[in-house]
Amino acid sequence: MRLLYSMTAPSPLARDLAAIVGAKHVREALAARVTYAMDGLPTHRRVPDLVVLPGTREELIAVVRLLAALDVPFVPRGAGTGLSGGALAGEGTVLIVLTRLNRIVRIDRANRLAVVEPGVVNAKLTAATKPLGLHYAPDPSSQTACTIGGNVAENAGGPHCLKYGVTANHILALEVLLADGSLVELGSPGGETWGPDLVGVFVGSEGNFGVATRITVRLTPVPRAVRTLLADFTSIRTAGEGVSAIIAAGIVPAALEMMDQSCIRAVEDSVYAAGYPRDAAAVLLVEIDGRNADAVVAEADAVADLLRTAGARTVRTAASEAERERLWQGRKKAFGAMGRLSRDLVVQDAVVPRSALPDVLETIYGIAQRYGLVVSNVFHAGDGNLHPNISFDATDPALKQRVEAASAEIMSTCIAAGGTITGEHGVGLDKLRYMPLIFDAESLGAMQALRRVFDPEERVNPGKVVPVHACREWASLARAS
Amino acid sequence: MREGKEGRGGFEGLDACVHCGFCLQACPTFLATGDEADSPRGRIELMRALERGDLTASDPALAYHLDRCLGCRGCEPVCPSGVQYGIGLEAARQRIAEARGVSRLARLALWALTSPKVSRVVYWFARGFRATGIPRRLAGWGRLRFAMGMLAATQGGEMRTKARKVLSPPSPALLFRGCVQQGLFSHVHDATVRTLGVNGYQVGEVKGQVCCGALHAHAGLLDEARALARVNVAAFGEGDEPIVVNSAGCGALMKEYGHLLCHEQGERFGARVRDVTELLAGDAMRGPIGGAPLDMHVAYDPPCHLLHAQGVAVPPLRLFAAIPLLELVSVPGAAECCGSAGLFTLLEPEMSRAVLAAKIERLRETAPQVVATGNPGCQMQIGAGLAAAGVATRVRHPVELLDDAYRAAGRYE
Repeated sequence: MRLLYSMTAPSPLARDLAAIVGAKHVREALAARVTYAMDGLPTHRRVPDLVVLPGTREELIAVVRLLAALDVPFVPRGAGTGLSGGALAGEGTVLIVLTRLNRIVRIDRANRLAVVEPGVVNAKLTAATKPLGLHYAPDPSSQTACTIGGNVAENAGGPHCLKYGVTANHILALEVLLADGSLVELGSPGGETWGPDLVGVFVGSEGNFGVATRITVRLTPVPRAVRTLLADFTSIRTAGEGVSAIIAAGIVPAALEMMDQSCIRAVEDSVYAAGYPRDAAAVLLVEIDGRNADAVVAEADAVADLLRTAGARTVRTAASEAERERLWQGRKKAFGAMGRLSRDLVVQDAVVPRSALPDVLETIYGIAQRYGLVVSNVFHAGDGNLHPNISFDATDPALKQRVEAASAEIMSTCIAAGGTITGEHGVGLDKLRYMPLIFDAESLGAMQALRRVFDPEERVNPGKVVPVHACREWASLARAS
Repeated sequence: MREGKEGRGGFEGLDACVHCGFCLQACPTFLATGDEADSPRGRIELMRALERGDLTASDPALAYHLDRCLGCRGCEPVCPSGVQYGIGLEAARQRIAEARGVSRLARLALWALTSPKVSRVVYWFARGFRATGIPRRLAGWGRLRFAMGMLAATQGGEMRTKARKVLSPPSPALLFRGCVQQGLFSHVHDATVRTLGVNGYQVGEVKGQVCCGALHAHAGLLDEARALARVNVAAFGEGDEPIVVNSAGCGALMKEYGHLLCHEQGERFGARVRDVTELLAGDAMRGPIGGAPLDMHVAYDPPCHLLHAQGVAVPPLRLFAAIPLLELVSVPGAAECCGSAGLFTLLEPEMSRAVLAAKIERLRETAPQVVATGNPGCQMQIGAGLAAAGVATRVRHPVELLDDAYRAAGRYE
């Protein structure tokens, strides 16, 4: 048998995989494999040895069992929109792409849950449940492309997670395929189970604990009343103070997002132009929702007052659903619009205490200026979850070094302010180097030990999340004592 | 080779891609296979590797995945960074065509369908065969039977009408006739002339015009496309009359003649090109003069080269709005490609049918009486798919419907 276009005969492993999924769903040619070398963060590149795309749960199980029998490491991947290099597979590793496992198995309206395969696209799940008055609340900016399986692996956030909680708060149960090919059920669709929260352990494990084959998600009623406000500021600092004012007043908006000028301009130049004022130093996008229209209006008015007091130049309310949709599309596609600034981009994902936002932002712009770099900020201000984007041209090696140095400095600033190294993008490959900054060797060793409960041979998504050298240090320490 | 701003032959159009992946779900081939190598983002990686020299144009896997791109450009309007995918694709395809040549089947098809002398005979035979009714009966999913369905789908309405004199003083417009459109869809040209006549246009003929070159450009034969473009630019002269096109694929390329030829004359030509629905809808989007009621359910299927490549979304809807009782039914995913894509349906039948299948299934569920679409390839592809699936829905060009409504209103008497 020959793969469709390969010049040489397929490897024995490719042949065995093809026997399970069909020859056209195994990719062995270099040209096909290089398209999987990156995720949404193109600063990391790894070309997998083989790519396999199972089309059913049974095929997936058979693939993993085959790889277990042959002791071959593998990496599960969804749509590849992650931003930490988490879904990359290097040499000697098979990439299992789950996009074809995209069936919504069941929607249970009465119990407000849905059972989905890992490759279901986030926005498609919400589209399917909306006619029932329900939606899947976590809404990462990439929701039109990213998959629920990937959301589970990364414990994805999104603008509306400020009020509704992140992915972990919306996963009821999981069927998980472990690296050895065995299936385990975690959690219960009925709600709480006794014992430790294993669903909570699995969600956010970045593909280190196994592959979710069936995911039971919580569905949330679509709010009856919504108000969306756009406030613009002439300085970043006052915008940051606006955020603090809202939080200090005890108001929990559904979403509270900030974008700075360079980001505003990139969006306004794109097809997703939302009418953000181009001359503003920053805009805040605030959404208030609830069941009672009067209460929502009253709270939105209170927010508008707070923002004006904090120094907003104007506060505008979306007059229609179409306008609201435009305001949100602009925000959610902002990351993609950064290509208008420069051909390469790194995005950071740090969290700082909300009260520290104005100071940290100022420091970040200072760092960028010192290194002569363009930094754009678009982020979940309500959570203090920053996403500084640095635009640059990677063909200039000196520039690339400056970007690396500035990134590291930005990260140390956030940590020094009492923050941490990732809010929602995960550690993956990209933040491995920062892990020792916030965890001591013993904590990292504990993480490794937990991972080995699920995957003793460390065959799923090897080399991610926990820096190996740190663990080795820890292991030698443990032996010495 | 096409000279870009930085002299990189079109590849510079891809620089803005930051790999966000927001294009994935807008790509019909990615939806069909779930394979990154069949996605816009993956193909951009291939094109970049080709430009860098990391992969060669003769790499069979690279060509395989780039060949499988429909060129529908559905990824462009969703791209936040405005990546010029279509321009990059043409550049890459030209490199591939130079490296391995164009397939014999593509050559044969181009020769039979676009060369003036040969195609006249081919279309004459095709029309004669179509009139026997045999193609309609043979329509099916197999390669040959699908082609039969495509031919059957080119059949126009039965009515033959001479246009009444136009309102005076008429505005002049010049009709672009094209190759397939002229050979198999001359009834759409007639409807174009008549409906524009009712709306105050005197449509003139232009001698010496040839195929627009779109099929050549998509196959990577940019030089041949340029040669055809030059003939058309010369034939249509330097006047300022609008050039009316009723085939979305032709219109898309002709609007880009300036870019293709890299000269101002081409630019001016491109600026004159209008889709027939744009002229009928008018600059103020008021829509054409109203027709008699047609009591039918119509699903509008926007051709990719009209919606994505030309950005013409509203004008066709203004045509339907001018027909009382005509009810537009919304079909989910109507804006997704049908899989026709010029010669694609012939060269990549497996992917083409996979992309078409989803559309046919949704049309079966919504069951409109007519699918309206303004591109010959789409008309044939969807028509053949419907015939193969045994769905009674007919496929027609939007101007044909307006033409029927005008005839019923007595505007041609």
